[in-house]
Amino acid sequence: MVHVLKWWQTIKISWSNHTAYRMNFFLQIIGPALVFFFVKYNLWSSIYSDKSVEVIKGYTLSQMIDYHVWAMIVGLLAKGHSAMNLSEDIRLGRISSFLIYPFNFWEFHTASFLSFQILQTFIVSISICLFWSIGILSIPSMSILMTGFLYCLFVSCFWYTLQYLTGLIGFWLEETWILRVILEILTAFLSGAIIPLELYPKWFVSFLEWTPFPYLTYFPIKTFMGQNSELFTSYSVVTIWIIIFCFINHFIWKRGIRLYTGAGM
Amino acid sequence: MKNLKQTIFYYLKVYEKFVSTSISVGVSFRTSFTLLLLMDLFFYFSTLLSVSFIYDHIQMIGPWDKNHLLFFISFMLGIDHLHMTLVSESFWELSHSIRTGDLDFALIKPANSVFSVFFRYFRPSTVINIFVVWTFIIYYGIQVKLEPLSWILLPFLMFLGFFLFIVVEFNIAASMFWLKEGLGINFLRMQLQQLARWPNFIYASIARKFLTVCLPILLVGSGPIHFLYDYGKWPFIVGMILSSIAFLFILKFVWRSALRHYNSASS
Repeated sequence: MVHVLKWWQTIKISWSNHTAYRMNFFLQIIGPALVFFFVKYNLWSSIYSDKSVEVIKGYTLSQMIDYHVWAMIVGLLAKGHSAMNLSEDIRLGRISSFLIYPFNFWEFHTASFLSFQILQTFIVSISICLFWSIGILSIPSMSILMTGFLYCLFVSCFWYTLQYLTGLIGFWLEETWILRVILEILTAFLSGAIIPLELYPKWFVSFLEWTPFPYLTYFPIKTFMGQNSELFTSYSVVTIWIIIFCFINHFIWKRGIRLYTGAGM
Repeated sequence: MKNLKQTIFYYLKVYEKFVSTSISVGVSFRTSFTLLLLMDLFFYFSTLLSVSFIYDHIQMIGPWDKNHLLFFISFMLGIDHLHMTLVSESFWELSHSIRTGDLDFALIKPANSVFSVFFRYFRPSTVINIFVVWTFIIYYGIQVKLEPLSWILLPFLMFLGFFLFIVVEFNIAASMFWLKEGLGINFLRMQLQQLARWPNFIYASIARKFLTVCLPILLVGSGPIHFLYDYGKWPFIVGMILSSIAFLFILKFVWRSALRHYNSASS
C-alpha cells in the first residue's frame, strides 16, 4: 500500500511539472502534431485537387485525411516524451538520490510516463471530439475507438522502453538528444506517420514487416479506422519487442551504473 | 567607409574565435560528432524518399512534377544545412542561458548582442554534409534543366532565403525573454521550418497569404525556386528583400525591448 502511495504521489508531482508551463507544453507537445497535420492536410488537398486523381492506392481524399488525423492522434497518444530528461539526470548526477531512495529510478520515470499518458489521453479525447464535430474525422464505432485507444496505450509502453534506452545511453554519451531525434526521424519515415505504407514500394514494405516500425503508427491508425484484421499479431509483436527492450534496458542499467561517477557530489 | 571596413574585420575576427572554440568542443565528443552527421543524413534521405514515393502514384503536385519538387526540397535542405551549421545550436542555448542567467556572458561581450547570442555556436559536424546536400541540388538542378544564369544566382538566392528565415526566427526567439521556459519557442521555430519546407501552392488561400505576407516563411524557399523556374516571377525576390529589411527593422525594437525585460537569474 505504501508503495502504491509513492507511485501515486510521483504521478501527481509529474502532472504538476507537465502542466506548470502550459504554453511550453502546448508548443512542445501539441503544436508540432497540429502543424504536421496542417501541412499534410494542405498537401493531400492539393494533390487531390487534380481532377485526374480520385483514388490513390485505395485512399480517397477523405480517407487520406482520416488517415492523417488518426496519425496525429496516434502520435499524441503513443509517442511519449517522458524519458526526455533521463540522460540529463545521469550526466548531472541527479540519479544519486534514487540510489538511496526507497523508490527506484525506473519507477520514478515510469510513474512520470503514466502521468504524461493520463494527460495525453485527456488531450486526445478532446481532439477526437473536436475533429469529429467539425466533420473531418469519421469514427467507425465506439468499440473500435476503444480498441484503438487501448492498442495505442500499449504501443506507448513500447515507445517508453525505447526512449528509456536512449536515455540510459547517457552513461556513455554526453548528448543523447541526437539519438532521440534519429529515432524520431526513422520512426516517422518507417512507421507510416508521413505517408501510408501502401504508397511505399512493395519490397520495402515486406522488409518493414520484419521490423517493429509499422506497429508504432501504421497499425494503430488502421485499428482506429477499423481496418486492422491482425490485432492479435499486432499485440504479440509489440509485446515481444517490449520484453526485448526491458531486458536490454536492465542490462544497460547494470553496466552503466558501474560507470556512474555521481557528478556534483 | 574605413570605419565600416574595420567593423567588418573586427566581427570576422570574433566569429573566427567562435568557430574555432566550437570546433574544439565539437571534435572532443567524437560519437556525438558522428551521430549528428548521421542524423542529418537520415533526415535528408527520409525527406526526399517520402516525396519520391508520393510521386510513384501521381504525376503532378500543383504545377510541379517530381523533379521540380525534389529540386525545391533539395534547395530547402541546403537552407536547412546552413541553419544547422551556423545558428541552430545558438537558439537552443538561448532558452537555457536566459533561464540560468548565463546570457550575461554574451551581453557583456564588446560586440552587438544579436551577433554574440545567435552566432556564438557553430556545428562543425554538419559542415561535412555540404557535399551530400549540394549533390542533391546539382543533380535535381540538372534534371529540371536550370539555365546558366540560374546556376549563378542559386547560391545568392539560397543565402537570401536563409537570411530572411533567420531574421524571422530571431524575432520569434526574442519572445523567450517573456516566458519562464523558452524551450517551447524553439519548437515553434521548428514548426515554421516545417511549413516552409513545402511549396507555397499547396497551402489554401488564407494560409498562403498569411505565411507569405504577415509571416513570410513561404518566401524562403518558394520565392527563389519560382524565380529560378521563371524569371518573370521576380516580385518574389523583391518581396524577400523587403521582408528581410522589415523584419530587421522590427528586430531592432523587439530585441531592445527583450533585453530590457531580461533580469539575470545569476546576478
